[in-house]
Amino acid sequence: MSGREFALAAVILAGSALAQTSKYTPPRTPDGQPDLQGVWTNITITPLERPANLAGKEFFTAAEARQYEKDTVERNNADRRDGGAQADLSRAYNDAWYDRGTRVVETLRTSLIIDPPDGHIPRRGDQPAGPPPGLGRPPEGPEDRALTERCILWPTAGPPMMPSFYNNNYQIVQGPGYVTILVEMIHDARVIPLDGPRDVRPHIDANVRQWMGDPRGHWEGNTLVVETTNFNDKTRFQRAGPNMRLVERFTRTAPDTIMYEFTVTDPSAFTKHWTGQIPMKRTEGPIIEYACNEGNYAMEGMLAGARADEKKAAGK
Amino acid sequence: MRKSLTLFSTAAAAVVCISLTLTPGKAQAPAAPAKAVAKAVAKGPRMPDGRPNLNGVWEYIGTANWDIQDHSPAPGPMWQLGAIGAIPAGQGVVEGNEIPYKPAALEKKKQNKASAPAEDPEAKCYMPGIPRATYMPFPFQIIQSNKDILMAYEYASANRLINMGKPIEAGSDTWMGTSNGHWEGDTLVVDVTGLNGLAWFDRAGNWASDKVHVVERYKRRSNDVMDYEATIDDPSVFTRPWKISLPLYKRAEKNAQILEFKCVEFAEELLYGKYKKQPTK
Amino acid sequence: MRKKLAVLLGIAGLLMVAAPAWAHHAFAAEFDAQKPVKLKGTVVKVEFINPHSWIHMDVKDADGKVTRWMVEGGSPNALFRRGVTKDALPQGTEIMVDGYQAKDGSNRANGRDITFADGKKLFVGGSNPDEQPNAK
Repeated sequence: MSGREFALAAVILAGSALAQTSKYTPPRTPDGQPDLQGVWTNITITPLERPANLAGKEFFTAAEARQYEKDTVERNNADRRDGGAQADLSRAYNDAWYDRGTRVVETLRTSLIIDPPDGHIPRRGDQPAGPPPGLGRPPEGPEDRALTERCILWPTAGPPMMPSFYNNNYQIVQGPGYVTILVEMIHDARVIPLDGPRDVRPHIDANVRQWMGDPRGHWEGNTLVVETTNFNDKTRFQRAGPNMRLVERFTRTAPDTIMYEFTVTDPSAFTKHWTGQIPMKRTEGPIIEYACNEGNYAMEGMLAGARADEKKAAGK
Repeated sequence: MRKSLTLFSTAAAAVVCISLTLTPGKAQAPAAPAKAVAKAVAKGPRMPDGRPNLNGVWEYIGTANWDIQDHSPAPGPMWQLGAIGAIPAGQGVVEGNEIPYKPAALEKKKQNKASAPAEDPEAKCYMPGIPRATYMPFPFQIIQSNKDILMAYEYASANRLINMGKPIEAGSDTWMGTSNGHWEGDTLVVDVTGLNGLAWFDRAGNWASDKVHVVERYKRRSNDVMDYEATIDDPSVFTRPWKISLPLYKRAEKNAQILEFKCVEFAEELLYGKYKKQPTK
Repeated sequence: MRKKLAVLLGIAGLLMVAAPAWAHHAFAAEFDAQKPVKLKGTVVKVEFINPHSWIHMDVKDADGKVTRWMVEGGSPNALFRRGVTKDALPQGTEIMVDGYQAKDGSNRANGRDITFADGKKLFVGGSNPDEQPNAK
């Protein structure tokens, strides 16, 4: 085993503690897989990183969680009009359009990151934390806007799969030898081939790079372990590079719950690997089509706006 | 309470597991007797419930995406591509070779064709709709579970879920429609409604409105070939229903998989070029 | 410019859940905070599409001249899940739009606050099936 493989194995072994503590035995699909099928949501207001004013505090008490929820919902309420015109404009529209959720995760953790224990991404000191280049300036072209605004990729799809401000929905469909995760935003289907113990199929060739990487899955007891490599150099999850390795674990811990964990490894961006945990809860379907590029008038508006500003500045 | 529940569910799982191996992907005997299905001669593998197994990576070979009707070879839309961009010959996939347009609708087809390729939704990386998704020059994968069937198309990360339970109504019109499926013997019949009428059938500009009703039939002819039919019914555009039929071939590479074709970045110049900052002279 | 960006990122950071602050559509790039508009008019048609819905409306000014405006809303998916249907805003419905006009001066605005003639906000009400009661 190479040093990297050893480190990865250590990560997987550490993560399997969760599977061992879960007492729920899920039903099985006809080909013997633990059944994860259905429509799920990872909606939550718990932030990825622990807020500064909660430093050192890994869990809320129930009362603290309720207060945090109340404060956050109030702060997030898009119907408030305070803060001046810029702040008002950036809330965009009425609160009814949003669906950010109103609850923290049921574990009452103060961050989705569970490792390192301080709840923060262990970024390398030499990495810039600000917005990617181009995003700070008026857009010269679509490449200057975020992947979400270009309708290329959304944080809910990842991987790893993160909650966003609406449409935090997933549908899992399992066929013989495959687990597929249909992500509502942006209508992505992650097709995960499953390896048997004597049947490990290699990743795609090194020069084939994908926005969502290339996944390979296998079952460890009742936990689905998915390893993803072959990211391209544009996805840049939390500023990671194309050699990011991602390990996700899906364990059904109750009829209505899948506990989702993800571990990110990329020495070019992070000083150590880090892990997040988000419960996925059963929800009502169906997944609704999110055709984004097909209706992206907003991109025209953003670029036309920048051109109008340039004309004004040039005194035309 | 929790302990006894765990014991019960473990025992139940053990009973189910007796006739199943733990290794996914291997053939297995059905865990329970199959429901009454037509006694058609089995062609290709079966699911544990006795239904045809349509799982796999499939692809159409032919020129239907250029033009679903018969066509001679022709220069392509861009001379700069030379023979690379030229249109190969193709026999039609339309039964009877006639698309029964009403006169005004035929005019719109001609307008579409004249505006191609810039106005072809395919050029803009828009989802291709049904039936065009089936015969794009890209593979797609069928993941057939014990409940619903997912079809994941490589082109533009398009996909659609075929609901195999009680039919659901289309909520609003979408690019890939609302698909309800059921079995007729060994044929998967998929009823597609709620298409938004914005996709084309091919690069030649053939089209239907948002009132179109598409009924597909998938029947596995052998392990490696599946017969596909799509009946198109739209009385606002056509004088009668008409049918497309073509074979689909199973991709035979070891570990065949669909790759990504997230084509938005390739279409951005076409979509937004006129809004981009022009270099100052 | 940097101050504006900081404010924008700060607010965006509050709005985002577990995503970088700059990940969402910056409305300040499309609309002008210095050009607030108040539109009173009738619905012509609604495009319940993604990434943004668009409400097309006719606005009549004091002289009776009618101008067509395009008002931007959010993703309709969450509304549909709450029970709002695509026929929820029929042609002819009177609405009031409080928003900001497009930077390029066209008759587009973001629908910062959209109400019916009686002041009631659009699309309010209905339960959200995604919300799970917290067990603890």
